[in-house]
Amino acid sequence: MIGVLEVVAYVVAAAVALYGLFTTIRNRPPDRTHRIAVGVFEAVLVVQAVVAAVRVFTGVQLPEQSTFLIYLLVSVCVMPIALQFATAEPTRWGGTVIAVGAIGTGVAVWRLHDLWVAGHG
Amino acid sequence: MAEPTGAPGRQPRATSSGPGRVLIAVYAIFALSATARAGVQIATKFSEAPVAYLLSGLAGVVYVLATIGLAGRSPGHRRLAWGAVVFELVGVLVVGTLTVFDTGDFPDDTVWSVYGRGYGFIPLVLPFIGLWWLRRTSSKG
Repeated sequence: MIGVLEVVAYVVAAAVALYGLFTTIRNRPPDRTHRIAVGVFEAVLVVQAVVAAVRVFTGVQLPEQSTFLIYLLVSVCVMPIALQFATAEPTRWGGTVIAVGAIGTGVAVWRLHDLWVAGHG
Repeated sequence: MAEPTGAPGRQPRATSSGPGRVLIAVYAIFALSATARAGVQIATKFSEAPVAYLLSGLAGVVYVLATIGLAGRSPGHRRLAWGAVVFELVGVLVVGTLTVFDTGDFPDDTVWSVYGRGYGFIPLVLPFIGLWWLRRTSSKG
């Protein structure tokens, strides 16, 4: 898709996941740092989704276009829901919930990459 | 008035509290990915492998029901969670075994194929964790 953004997305996803697991181990509930980290991650995902969607709707042909667009939608929806669910009950486990969301989103980005590459040889 | 059997130690604990929230998050992600994938498959290429795609859809529904059951706090939710997680365990074992021995009718296209290999075998591990958590939080535990 967009090479640099995709790599940034993986790095930020890994950082968010590790930080979430770290606060679970340290027995701390999600705090402001988690919100900022998730916000940064989400911003990267939204930019990626907008750019990719524009390119699909302006001529880029993909073999599984609808699947690609649904994964694109999923990639931006998971983190806000995960953050909400993680902070609704402020226990140590909130960080792990955020980590699960970040890992799931990272896998979705990976699938997006495969679907994109399939359309470009 | 307090219930006669209201001793706190004998009440079931909420499945949606503490580490249970992590389990719900994992189930929710599987619910989302499995139903989304099956929805696309059924809508765009159902005739290619109807059995596999219907199975994908069924797996998605089971994950949705398990998520709802675990997230709720009533006894009905707990029963729903038990039913969904047991079904999930049977599903992944049966479909996993069938796909290991004969890939004919099942293209490697469902969450449960080859015991969930395409999903890092999480679909195989998840129902065991689910059953353990339901048992641990039940009043009998």
